[in-house]
Formats: sequence, structure tokens, C-alpha cells
Amino acid sequence: MIFKDIKKFKHKGSFEGWAKRVTVNVALQKFRKKSILKFDKIEENQLTEEEITVDVDEENISLSFLLSLINELPPKYQLVFNLYVLDGYSHQEISDLLNISTGTSKSNLFRARKLLQNKINNSKINSYENRHRQVIS
Amino acid sequence: MKIDIDKLFRNKINGAKPNVPKEIWFAVEAELKRKQLLRFLSMFFGVCLISLTGYIFLFSKIEKTPTIKIQKATSQEKLISLPQKKSPEKMLPLTTKKSDLHKASFPKKYKKNYSKKSFASLSDQNNKPSKETTFFEEKVKDTVVEKQVKKIDSLVNNLDNLVDDLKNDLKKEKKKLIKKKDSIDVAKFNKEKRRRWNVIPVFGISNSGRFSKNVSTLGTLRAVTYPNEYFDDNKSSGSISSTYGFNVVFRATNRISIQTGVFSKELRFLTEDLFLSEFIPDVNPTNIIYNPGVEVRFSNTPEIGGSESANLTQTIVYMEMPFELKYRMFGDSKFNTNIVGGFSFLYLNKNEIRAKTNMFSRKIGKASNVLTTSTSLNIGLDLEYHLSNRLVFNSAVMYKKHYNTYKDFNNKYSPYNVGMHVGIGYKF
Repeated sequence: MIFKDIKKFKHKGSFEGWAKRVTVNVALQKFRKKSILKFDKIEENQLTEEEITVDVDEENISLSFLLSLINELPPKYQLVFNLYVLDGYSHQEISDLLNISTGTSKSNLFRARKLLQNKINNSKINSYENRHRQVIS
Repeated sequence: MKIDIDKLFRNKINGAKPNVPKEIWFAVEAELKRKQLLRFLSMFFGVCLISLTGYIFLFSKIEKTPTIKIQKATSQEKLISLPQKKSPEKMLPLTTKKSDLHKASFPKKYKKNYSKKSFASLSDQNNKPSKETTFFEEKVKDTVVEKQVKKIDSLVNNLDNLVDDLKNDLKKEKKKLIKKKDSIDVAKFNKEKRRRWNVIPVFGISNSGRFSKNVSTLGTLRAVTYPNEYFDDNKSSGSISSTYGFNVVFRATNRISIQTGVFSKELRFLTEDLFLSEFIPDVNPTNIIYNPGVEVRFSNTPEIGGSESANLTQTIVYMEMPFELKYRMFGDSKFNTNIVGGFSFLYLNKNEIRAKTNMFSRKIGKASNVLTTSTSLNIGLDLEYHLSNRLVFNSAVMYKKHYNTYKDFNNKYSPYNVGMHVGIGYKF
């Protein structure tokens, strides 16, 4: 798409930013076509700014594992998480891109974080159990 | 060690991203800018080249084409400038006077347009340096002009032919479109063929009138006391009356329908400013047959013995059976507009004359000159709106001219009737 529409680049701003925007927009269009973007409506009690942490050793956790965790998320959470955490979009920008409210964006991000936190914690337990079984045997 | 989940993902994933050096982005942007500039320059030069070619082409055309400037007759600057063509003949020493110019061959039709003066001035203009023109030069000019004239003629003819061709093509296309539309309509009609009948109970109102003025069809009323004195005929005017019945429509083709039905149709006329006087036998011969026991008579002047002012209301009710054709002018699946034309058979059902005074309103007789059967010629506009596949709302405005209504009057006095009816029909 970038190569196809390269003539549309008007030299306003950097090419890197333009390419990034095109990529995000194309991806969003694809998601919209599949009609999988049904976002949860905002619920006040879920609007929390609390910091969600996990107790892991950053050095020992692999990139592929983190990517697989993201891929396991429902698309609506995955999208908001990627846009906010990895691409650095604000909630206002996400709400404009996805045509949702900022509250919905915050809510979906919170749920994504919670799901990821649970998954990481569960994986820790599993790996501990596996190691324990290996020691017993 | 506790770590923020956002930070964990951001560090790991962004850290794994291939770092593209900033210079590469700048290089891409520079390359794009260069390409854009090249594109702009190539477009600019292209446009310049086309303009230049066009200019050269036009300029050379202008050089070759004789420019003819004709100004108003009053102007002294009439001129026809012709290109100077170098020809071997130019070199010949043969010279000619101005008068010789007019003898040179020049198409007759153009001779008319350019005066001798202008032509002479033209030659003056063109030959300023030498002040003399060779005969051959003029011949060459004439040939050029003739050629150009022929060229223009052929171009005009070609243009005319082209316009004719276009007109013909347009007509053909129009016909094709109409045929196509008709074929679509026919297809639709065939699809709906099963529902060709439509029965419509209708109700309406109408107003009647006569084209003749100041003539009452009830005959000349005269004074009871002075039987030999006749007065002017009384004026009668139509009143609003009702119509009801049902129409049966058969759709014969997609455009034409046949309709008939049975209606009860009322005509009502009011004659004002009359008087009711006492009965004197055999002195008021009008077209009214009074009921037995009625001992008053209408007259149009008060009587000595005492009279009461009264109005006369004549009511004629017919049973009408129309036979009409409906033609669909335009419309679609929902809405149709039809013109209706036909005739009706009318059978007299009610013939009544009422007297209305301030005190009473009473039926006192009937008209003796109304024929039992008569006809009417009908024309009107009919609108149909399909409420559903089966139900049709129908409304029509009809004009009906009656014929052979009265015994002793010619059709000039026969009434006409303008009415509107509405109804909802059922198709089957």
C-alpha cells in the first residue's frame, strides 16, 4: 500500500510518520472489514489508572512468548494495547482512529493489561509445576 | 522483580525492532522529492512543447489561410489580406492596372460580399512597396482564395452531414430506449398478468351546468293572472351533487385498460327568484307536470291574488353505465397517470321538482321534457396509486357532456357535468 500510494505523500511531516500512519490505517481497514471490532462499552468501575505489574525477570522472558500472549488477546483488546503501548498513540488518538470514546479505549486497555497479567502469572505457575515435576521424577 | 506490564512489552518489543538509521528515512524523502521535481519538470516541459507545437501549427495555418477582415462600410480600412506567394510568374514583367483586378476570376458569390473598393484597397495594401501588381500574382491569389472557399464549403458540408448523422443517431437511440422501456413494462405486465381485473367502489361529487345562459329547460314561465304575457326565460344554475357506484377495469395491455361499471349519478339545477301562486287551470303551460293535489303553480312574477317567493330545484338521477378506455401516459410500479375517454348510457331513475320557500320545501312535480334514456361523452384524467399488490387507490377528474337529454331542446341545452371521484380498488 505504501508503494502504491507513495505519490500521495505530500512532504508534510516525515516520511517515516506517514508510512506508519498508512500501515496503521490499512490494518484498521482490514479489521473493520472483518467486523471484529465490537468494543466493550465503558463501565465506570473499570476505568482505572492503577499500574498493573508482573513479577518476572525481564531478561529471562522471551520476545516470542510476549508476542504469542498479545496474539492470544481478543482483537479489540489487542488493537488498543498495540496502539497505546507499542505505537505510542494517546487515548484521544485511538478514539478518533477507531471511532470509539476515550473511555472505551481506556477500558479495553485495562482489560488487555489484566488478561496479559493473568497469562504471565499462569505461565509462571505452570513453569514452576513443570520444574517441580522434573525434580520429583 | 516487579515490573510495569506496559514497560515490559515496550522494552522487549521495541528493543527487538530493527533500528533503521535516520539517514535512510532522509534518503527516501530526498529521493521522493527529486522524483517529484522530475515529474513536475517533465510535465512543465511537456506542456511547453505542446503549446509550442500548437502555436507553430496555428501560426503556419494563419500564414497559409487568407485572412479576411471586413469592417463596416463606413470604415476606410476595408481590406482582404492574402498571403504573398512567391511564384515564377511574379518575375514576369507583365503589369496590370487596378481595373484589371476586377476582371480576374473570383467566385461570384464572394464577389457580392466584397466591394470593388475594398478589393482595390486590398491590392493597394498588399502591393505597397511596388505599387503595381502583376496579373499572375492576382491569378495566384484568386486560385488560393478559390481553394480556401472550396475547403470551407466542404468543411461546412461535412459539418452539416455530421450534425445530421448525430441527429439520426440520437433519434435511433431514443427509439431504442423507448422500446427498451416498453419491453420492460411489457415484461412487468406479463408478470402481473394474473391480476388484470380491478373492481373499484367509488364515491364522488360533481357540479352540473349548461352552456346556454338564461334558458330554463323547464320552459318559459309566464304570469298566471295574465296568461298572455310572457316573460324572459329564467336562469338556472347547477348545484353540487353526488355520484356513487363501482368501476370494473380490465387491463388489456400494459398501457390500455377498458373500464365499465354502474353509477348512480345525480344532476341538480336551481332556478331562483320565482313565485308560487294559486292554481288557475290551463294558464301556465310549462314543462312541469304537477303532482295531483298540488294547487300552486310557479310563475316569475307576483300575482294579484297573492304569491310567495320560491326557488325551484330540479333533480335528475341517472343510472349510468360507462364504457371507457384508459391509456397510461406515464407512471411506474407505484403511481400511474391515465387519460380516460369513452361514453356512457344513461337511464333516467329519478325526475323530481321541488319548491322551496321560507316556510317549506316540498316535492311538487316532475319535468315533462326529460327523456328516459340519453348518452354522455366522457373524457378525464385518472390517477392510480398502488397501495399494495392487490389494493389500488383511484381518483379521477371527469368531464361529461350529455346528449339527448330533453325532448324539445336540441343538444345545445343539454347539461354537462364536471366531477371527481375517489375509490380504493381490489385487483384480482
